[in-house]
Amino acid sequence: MREYLTEQWMNFEQIYIRKIAGFSSKDLGYKLKMPIIGRILRWSAESMIHNDSKNRNAKNADGHFGQVIPLEDAQLIMSELAAEPIICNYCMCRWMQRKKKEAVCINFGVLSEVIEKLPRFIPKDRTYKIDRETAMEKLEEFNKKGYISSVWFQPVPYINAICSCESPECGGFTLRNNFDLDVMYKAEYIIQLDQDNCQGCKQCVATCQLSAIRFIPSMNRVIIDYDKCFGCGVCRHACQHDALKLIPREDFPGFDGTY
Amino acid sequence: MMSKSKSKKKRTKIKIDYSICGEEGKIDPRDCSLCMRSCDPAVFVMHPTLGTEEKQEDPYDPQDWRITPIWGSLCTRCFKCIEACPEKAITISW
Repeated sequence: MREYLTEQWMNFEQIYIRKIAGFSSKDLGYKLKMPIIGRILRWSAESMIHNDSKNRNAKNADGHFGQVIPLEDAQLIMSELAAEPIICNYCMCRWMQRKKKEAVCINFGVLSEVIEKLPRFIPKDRTYKIDRETAMEKLEEFNKKGYISSVWFQPVPYINAICSCESPECGGFTLRNNFDLDVMYKAEYIIQLDQDNCQGCKQCVATCQLSAIRFIPSMNRVIIDYDKCFGCGVCRHACQHDALKLIPREDFPGFDGTY
Repeated sequence: MMSKSKSKKKRTKIKIDYSICGEEGKIDPRDCSLCMRSCDPAVFVMHPTLGTEEKQEDPYDPQDWRITPIWGSLCTRCFKCIEACPEKAITISW
């Protein structure tokens, strides 16, 4: 486990570049559109992402996928389930796609010990080892800032990270939204709008990373694109009128089971 | 069956001249990366150069980096990266 994660994380940024079964992710959008090869490629990528067998390849990031979770669930994991030590390190996606070093990834258990040895992910100017209460506060801070909490398998069935993602920098959102690969699953919840409470202030529109909320001038309220909604609940923090609520996805007809 | 896109948009080819930018060139992408920051759909990825793993002094802290335009299909052809690049190392064709 420790060796697997060390090998995986030492050169994680190469994951898109490295050739896997003869194909790298370069121009993946075009490759997936090729008639027969595209289908085989999609199948092999999906089975790689969900690989839970023993002979996994660390360099392919086998069995590495995640799910969006609302703030409450993220804090529950942090307060009761996460294994020590807990660290808060730089987000790798943002580093490799934007050269931004933002300490928003919260890792726990064995993965923390692995990442500690990788200087490019460890903030030097502040304490990166944090306790449960600080982790919960940080999650709330990131969520209110507009980042989406997501929980990650690496490799399945080990859960060892809660990220605060944004689209399109996040690899999970990029692959899911553009190429329909199930790297990132939608949350167990979906947003519900109370139309009577909505005052049309448009504050929530700016917070949605997935552009699932749109303002309709003639009705002076927002509408929600439920196909795009991941159920992260970030828009709730922007609403001053108590119009946005998360409900369980299974209670929402037509969208139960659409992860 | 995947539907063919109606407009026959040609494949966008983005090229970076690695003799200027990258492990051999005079620019370390970790110091610049203006193209990555200017790109709206985040097409570029910065990564340790492939095949240099053995050469690295400290495998935990690789020093050879380059940028690859990875999601070419998302490129909107806005040419922001070409404008941003101080060494004119990027070319786009289709």
